[in-house]
Amino acid sequence: MMSATRKKAQDRRTRRIQDLDAELEERMKGRYTTRRSRRTLAGLGAAVLSLLWVDAAVSWVLAPSDAAMITNFVVLGVLLVVGIPVAGQLVATTRGVTAKREHELDERQLTARLQAFRTAHKGTSVVMLAVVLVTSVADRDGRDSQIPGAALFLILFALLVTHLLLPLVVAGWQSPDPLPDEDDDVAGAS
Amino acid sequence: MTPGKDDKEQVHNRIPMLRAERGISRRDLAAALGVHYQTIGYLERGEYSPSLHLALRIAEHFEVPVEVVFSLTPFPRIGAPS
Repeated sequence: MMSATRKKAQDRRTRRIQDLDAELEERMKGRYTTRRSRRTLAGLGAAVLSLLWVDAAVSWVLAPSDAAMITNFVVLGVLLVVGIPVAGQLVATTRGVTAKREHELDERQLTARLQAFRTAHKGTSVVMLAVVLVTSVADRDGRDSQIPGAALFLILFALLVTHLLLPLVVAGWQSPDPLPDEDDDVAGAS
Repeated sequence: MTPGKDDKEQVHNRIPMLRAERGISRRDLAAALGVHYQTIGYLERGEYSPSLHLALRIAEHFEVPVEVVFSLTPFPRIGAPS
């Protein structure tokens, strides 16, 4: 049985999410209403994710060196300046389909979430397969291989971030056109 | 004849008419059913087919049998010869 404290906390969270949703609907009115704009945003998200892989590849080839370190800082900067706002916009555009807890979504949103996770899972599988193939081809020294530690860390980091954020990008790509508010419908009809 | 994917999944509904008749907004209906208001919009436009559970709850909300709200064939237009 759910304790009273837990129930209270859950109610508080539900109310907070309802308030945030209402504010979000107000703020997002008229934004990303076309499929093209949403897909551009999702494409930008995918580009930011792929930057992480470029960073890992650069580290593999150049680390330890100044060039690898500079690339690393540039990518980190892009992640902070572009990646975080893009992720925020994607969460808003998808109405938190991949960010909220399951019980906070209705059945249509759950279906959309499931579809996004399914596609993203396939994408992550392809990425992992590609990593295995590329690393096996690139590293043929056997026991004498000297893979830079930074590259290994960055590959794992890129894999983790891809695993976590690809569903959000996919959900942004797949999200349907938002419907105009009823007031807009009435205004449009008259 | 095997129905195409679109035919198979198309569920027609009278939610907009029932809402208009009873003066209920999308947001009110959504709140009563515990779904996002856009879900009601997608349902009305036929872009989303509800689960049996949601279909029954919608019918229950309007206090009509489920076949009054949902149909696999298009509903006749009001005033059209039967």
